[in-house]
Amino acid sequence: MKKGSRRRCRVNGLRFATIVVALLTIGTSLLVSLAYLPSSSAAADVKIALIVPLSGRYARQGQLKKMGAEMAIDEINASGGVKALGGANIALVTADAGDTVEKAVSAAQRVLTREKVVAGIGAWLSSFTLGITEVSERLHIPWVTLSYADPITERGYRYVFQSSPVAGIQATRALDLVVDLAKANGRTLKTAALVGDTTATSVAFLRPLKDKLLPAKGISVVVDESWSPPLADATPIAQKLRSAKPDIVFYGGINFPDSALFLQKVKEFGLAMPIVGVGAQMVSPEFLDVVGKDLVNNVMAAVASHPIRGQEALIEKFKKRTGEKFMTQDPLSTYANVWIIKEALERARSADPTAVRDALAALDLTSGPAASSLAPGRIRFDERGRRVGATPIIAQWQGGEPVTVFPAELATHKPAWPWH
Amino acid sequence: MIFFTEAVQYLITGLLVGGVYALMSIGLALIFGVMRVMNFAQGDFLMLGMYVTYYFAAAGGVDPLLGSLLAAPLFFLVGVVVYRTLLVRLRKGRDPQREMDAQLIVTLGLSLLISNAALMTLSPTPRGLPSSYATTPFLVGPLLINQARSYAFLLAIILSVLVYAFLTRTDLGKAIRAATDDAEAAAYQGINVSRMHQVAFGIGIALAGTAGGLVATYHPITPTVGMDFIVLMFVAVVLGGLGSVFGAFLGGLLIGVVQSLTLLFFPLQLQNIAIFAVLLLTLYLKPRGLFGQRVREV
Repeated sequence: MKKGSRRRCRVNGLRFATIVVALLTIGTSLLVSLAYLPSSSAAADVKIALIVPLSGRYARQGQLKKMGAEMAIDEINASGGVKALGGANIALVTADAGDTVEKAVSAAQRVLTREKVVAGIGAWLSSFTLGITEVSERLHIPWVTLSYADPITERGYRYVFQSSPVAGIQATRALDLVVDLAKANGRTLKTAALVGDTTATSVAFLRPLKDKLLPAKGISVVVDESWSPPLADATPIAQKLRSAKPDIVFYGGINFPDSALFLQKVKEFGLAMPIVGVGAQMVSPEFLDVVGKDLVNNVMAAVASHPIRGQEALIEKFKKRTGEKFMTQDPLSTYANVWIIKEALERARSADPTAVRDALAALDLTSGPAASSLAPGRIRFDERGRRVGATPIIAQWQGGEPVTVFPAELATHKPAWPWH
Repeated sequence: MIFFTEAVQYLITGLLVGGVYALMSIGLALIFGVMRVMNFAQGDFLMLGMYVTYYFAAAGGVDPLLGSLLAAPLFFLVGVVVYRTLLVRLRKGRDPQREMDAQLIVTLGLSLLISNAALMTLSPTPRGLPSSYATTPFLVGPLLINQARSYAFLLAIILSVLVYAFLTRTDLGKAIRAATDDAEAAAYQGINVSRMHQVAFGIGIALAGTAGGLVATYHPITPTVGMDFIVLMFVAVVLGGLGSVFGAFLGGLLIGVVQSLTLLFFPLQLQNIAIFAVLLLTLYLKPRGLFGQRVREV
């Protein structure tokens, strides 16, 4: 090869590489935006931001949350939009929070500064929500979230509204339930294992158990293991559980494959202790396909919301429009959150974010889709932005479906005690 | 006694996990050794291998272990196509540094494209093969040896040995190694270097696909799962000595064992720190890795 042609080839090689990468980047972002951007928005629309993970390891949860929000918006727009704003339609501005806090925060910065939104919802993972709400607070945009971690509403922020019971409360209720259940079955819980990852939700659930709740009940912690997702292999956890034989396992795992590996190992090692998890990912339908229904049977999970008595019509409607096997916390919470914002808009009579914030703070709903979606059926926020009286639901896998077993007055099924 | 049993249990678990790490790493090492291409998309080909095995099993009722082997020729072809359409065009330059940069960018772009395309077309819903052997152990005294992982381990070892035999015993394998050691001299001997690269890349991708199929027997499948393995593969390859296939094999095994044995003394949280500590220590003592080749200075 001659010298000149060599150089040309080298340049061509580099140029080709650059073109390929440019095309890949453009292609990928186009594909992603086509898939996730709102379809249409007329001039008078009111925009709500939804920032959830749509790529990366938590994409499934973001997809579920988007389904719930879209369902609420379709209902609202079909029934005449926001009446106080002359029947304005609500449009959803979706952004991808990705799989790291940094990506979530930059998505929030991008959307909240470029789009004129009246309020926002997100971002599923508490660690992400903690980051995103720093942006929304600075820009004075009200933020409604399902995330559990207690610190979200412990920072003195005025624009954050947590529609879920915080993880600390979930831990208290879950513990009360299992202690009572054990007692009813003639057992006393003496030892417990705490197993979970190091994300904000899991820590907020497991730490109060370890620090005060379990000691207060006289239950000692015999296994305490944590990891940063992903978990390479669950054998060591199963091994420790097998040696220590705790009466109960509290589990906090946010990454689906981690939980699947954990349940597989529990089965393999023949462990039969009851498992109480935190978060809706423990009762997500994909467990049926991935590990089969036998492995999840009797596993319980403390969640912010789950289909309760009286929501049958809503669930049917959701299943029909999405083809999902059942409705869980993630779509249910965004469905409720959109309705909460809609009710606030009606009362604010304005699309100004600060007015919407004030309306949210003054809200007291006892009927309508928002109130009926979240136990115990009342939407009112305290001065910190926490929903007053928010009750966690405890769902349990029974016969291949997660059903609500606690609190008793909302439950669709009786709790089953795993030991026979 | 209890400690001893536990230590053996951890060692076995580590070896079983490490065997599959070893298989996925030798694919990467082969590609790097022969072509000097750091293939960032290797994890994503692994992910595709998981899906192919999954669909073989879900749609055709093919046993996942057989499915992972069936994936090999398919992924060999994919590798050849990727080589011909993308990588061969980057090899025409003669400035090694720029060539390297271009390759890094292209394989990284390929990785993003594959994982995002998978996210869109296959949906983020995790899938899996709830096979009975994923949750059934062989009982050996007090030890539990997972069946799925044992089968995956055995197949991984057999395939690794076959790759090694191919490289050392066959004419084609020897030609590939010749092209690796000195492309120019090999060309003078009548070896078609570009063809050797193509074959090596095809085999490397086939190994990633097959390793993916084996992983799918016990690990949930998501479009982003490749990310969880690519870092381990790189560590194994660097640990073993860049480009050394045998080194990568041992590196993979070692990572599995270190990951597991660490837990005898340290909490789970420190598992991955241990891997990188071992990597740093190895590089400090042997900068070229365990079986690194001397690099010719020009």
